[in-house]
Amino acid sequence: MQLDNCNPAARRRPGQRKGNAMKAFRYYLPLILALFLLAVMPQTWASIAVQCPEDTDGIDADGDGDPANDIVCRHITGGDGFATMADGRRLYMFSFGDADDHQPLDPAGPPVEETPANKALEAELPAPRITLREGQELYLTMTNVSMVLRPDLFDPHSVHWHGFPNAAPIFDGLPEPSPTPNMMASFTYYYKAAHPGTYFYHCHVEAAEHMQMGMIGNLWVTPKQNELPDGTVLLGGFVHNAGNKYAYNDGDGSTFYDVEIPIQMTGMDSAFHDASEFVTPLMFAEMHDNYTMINGRGYPDTMDPNVIFNQDGTPGFGAQKTPTLIDLEQGQILLMRVSNVSTTHIYSMATTTGVPMKVVGRGAALLRGPTGEDTSFEVNVLNVGGGQAFDVLLDTQDVPPGKYFLYTTTLQFLANGDQERGGIMTEINVSAAP
Amino acid sequence: MRPHFFSRQTALGIALTALLLVFGSSGALAAVQGIEGPSFQLTAKTGSISTSDGESFLMWGYADASASGNNTMQYPGPTLIVNQGDVVTVTLTNSLPAEAGNTSIVFPGQVVTTSGGVPGVLTQEAATGGSVTYQFTATHPGTFLYRSGSQPDLQVEMGLVGAIVVYPSMGRSYAYNHEDARFDREFVLVITEMDPTIHRMVEYEEFNLIDTSAYYPTNWFANGRNFPDNLSDDFVPWLPHQPYKFNPRLHPGERVLVRSVSVGNQLHPFHYHGNDIEVIGEGGRLLSSGPGMGADLAWQAATRRTIPGQTADVMWTWNAEQLGWDIYDHQPGVDYPRAEIDTTWTGNICDNFDPLLYEPNTTTQLPAPGDPDYADLFDPFTNEYCPDHGTLFPVILPTRDSLSFGPYYAGTPFLGGEGELAPGDPGLNATAGYFYMWHSHTEKELTSNDIWPGGLVTFAIVEHPAVPLP
Ligand SMILES: [Cu+2]
Repeated sequence: MQLDNCNPAARRRPGQRKGNAMKAFRYYLPLILALFLLAVMPQTWASIAVQCPEDTDGIDADGDGDPANDIVCRHITGGDGFATMADGRRLYMFSFGDADDHQPLDPAGPPVEETPANKALEAELPAPRITLREGQELYLTMTNVSMVLRPDLFDPHSVHWHGFPNAAPIFDGLPEPSPTPNMMASFTYYYKAAHPGTYFYHCHVEAAEHMQMGMIGNLWVTPKQNELPDGTVLLGGFVHNAGNKYAYNDGDGSTFYDVEIPIQMTGMDSAFHDASEFVTPLMFAEMHDNYTMINGRGYPDTMDPNVIFNQDGTPGFGAQKTPTLIDLEQGQILLMRVSNVSTTHIYSMATTTGVPMKVVGRGAALLRGPTGEDTSFEVNVLNVGGGQAFDVLLDTQDVPPGKYFLYTTTLQFLANGDQERGGIMTEINVSAAP
Repeated sequence: MRPHFFSRQTALGIALTALLLVFGSSGALAAVQGIEGPSFQLTAKTGSISTSDGESFLMWGYADASASGNNTMQYPGPTLIVNQGDVVTVTLTNSLPAEAGNTSIVFPGQVVTTSGGVPGVLTQEAATGGSVTYQFTATHPGTFLYRSGSQPDLQVEMGLVGAIVVYPSMGRSYAYNHEDARFDREFVLVITEMDPTIHRMVEYEEFNLIDTSAYYPTNWFANGRNFPDNLSDDFVPWLPHQPYKFNPRLHPGERVLVRSVSVGNQLHPFHYHGNDIEVIGEGGRLLSSGPGMGADLAWQAATRRTIPGQTADVMWTWNAEQLGWDIYDHQPGVDYPRAEIDTTWTGNICDNFDPLLYEPNTTTQLPAPGDPDYADLFDPFTNEYCPDHGTLFPVILPTRDSLSFGPYYAGTPFLGGEGELAPGDPGLNATAGYFYMWHSHTEKELTSNDIWPGGLVTFAIVEHPAVPLP
């Protein structure tokens, strides 16, 4: 069993306890109600469980030389919480949280049955990142911990691995042709990661609502080419060195990169989130994102290296764990794993480096024609529709050291609500090569 | 273990399908709904459509005014079906109310000559009560569209749109004249949207209040129908002005061609659940680097942005490749005679496949698509992915009281399997097919005028090989 590396700095602050008096007063009543419901429905406790078999088949499916690390188990929650926009405004949200720190995935952690109580209001934006090696199998358990602030709702949640080839409905997360876990229940999804690429996942229950509310996360599969023996010569004479990383099994090193960064673009419509928090009718037709974000933050929060806490007079919970800091040495190649998960808008993005971006992957597929034709392309502006993902290389060989921007050229979205110079933007710092 | 093929549900599904075959309007494999050319008589006229939020809206649309047509306005207009090389003639009569003004048709991507009518900005137009005739030679096979060329900001929004299918000289199992463009089944998908304010203003004859520059659509359509109306059959009587469904059904491994036609005002990132698409054509041209090269510039993705006015030819298939478990719940070490699915089939499922050739942890890689040995991975009759034949389902599903069931969940994770439904479940998946949502990933468009669910959502269904398909 191998646990994925979520950012350890993103863990809870020392001394912070969940469900204690540090929660804002407004949380108390629904939280108590939720805990009361837990207490009076003991039979539902049994339905909170994590399935995680041992990798004992002796086959090295991911090609990394270790036959016992091909099964990845993760445990996420589906529930609610708060995110802080870059102008300081707090928005109510639904999303996934991280429960890998509970048993059985962390044998030293609390019992799995305590997940709903311990993880109440600990949704994260974006959801915990999942990274796999090609060939690995993912047992992804999602426990629906209920929406603490919306005791009127009985919504299930689901996980949709967006772009998974040859998906089966049972693990596709669509609530129409599959079962979805009710509140206080777990569902274990199974995926064999046969195709490398940049994917993402999201809840598909009432997707216009649950995705707008924030149920989105990054999901990547790295290629077997990363595991080649040191010194392997690829097509065109490219020499693979141990530790080299590629976006795809390109065969020629053309998707090699030094540094990778998620660029998951999305937005939130504050009126919609307020309507959800205060249980007023949801306006779908008028939905319009006024807070746009990269990895769950608007500029300048994209530059904040720290976890952002959803404070309300208290430290709150560190719901936004993903900065978008791009620090490069001149000559390095940056891989941007770009996606758009907005429910309302198509976004374009560009950099001010003056060099084009090379698009080598689209929709978790290497840009090659069926007969191997190179169909990669260079752009200065990349247009990304909701549900699209791209693998984009930025080669800094010809970029003088300095500070540059990555931003949306859909300029109206360079804002955090009414605050200008925000939204989908971050900085690229290029330093001189050592 | 008893095979599942003749479960109670499957038998019901077969009965239902037989009924559809008897009463359905089309029995031919791979045929698209539409009218055959090369000569067409269309009338532009008014009618009302139903939307999934329970509303109805006044539309202007095309009707098949030929002797064999029903002369009923439909949204979208009749799909015009012709063969490469045909000299296509379309005569348009303007039966719209006088306030609509002149109307016309433009045929993007065709070289058109006109006769009759009155001069307009883009082409010759039909005045109120008048007619005009357009003629072009269908030189290129592919998917095209037609729409109003008069006040198009208003008339296209009002519904004067339709698709054109030009079959190549290689025949009607091809999108283009190349083997890469061969398909088993094809479906036309016309994507549009609607700003209801405009339709109300037209209905109330408040033409001077219409401001198309303030266009704000709140409803989205696949073949002129919202979800779930687009799953009802072609020509159902309760949708007299929206005759075309969009509900592709296929068997595992079949190649489906989606002729995507976008003719509204917006881009829509259209997402295909279940598997990646392969885009082989755009704008009525094969994506090819040169003559004879086939679709070597085709591209794959899970989502493709539709662009207003653009058509695309999109291939989709589903074969459970590398899923990691047996979708039929076949048990290890058990023989499953193919004759239990089709009495004319011989042998056992996957007896063509030698697992020892592909023993894991050897240097032997599984063949990839395009390799000569790739076909060996699949059962030649059922298309089952044989490396997973007999591989057990990987997880334990929670008990029923922990779950919410959707209307298309058959109570089983297995294709064509036998499941128990929750009390009160509508049981809309009697054959235990695999349902895949195809939808706009601008998720607000999954609504009809503020009402969830609706809008630009539809489902494709992969059916068990024993389930007959029209
Ligand atoms: Cu959800």
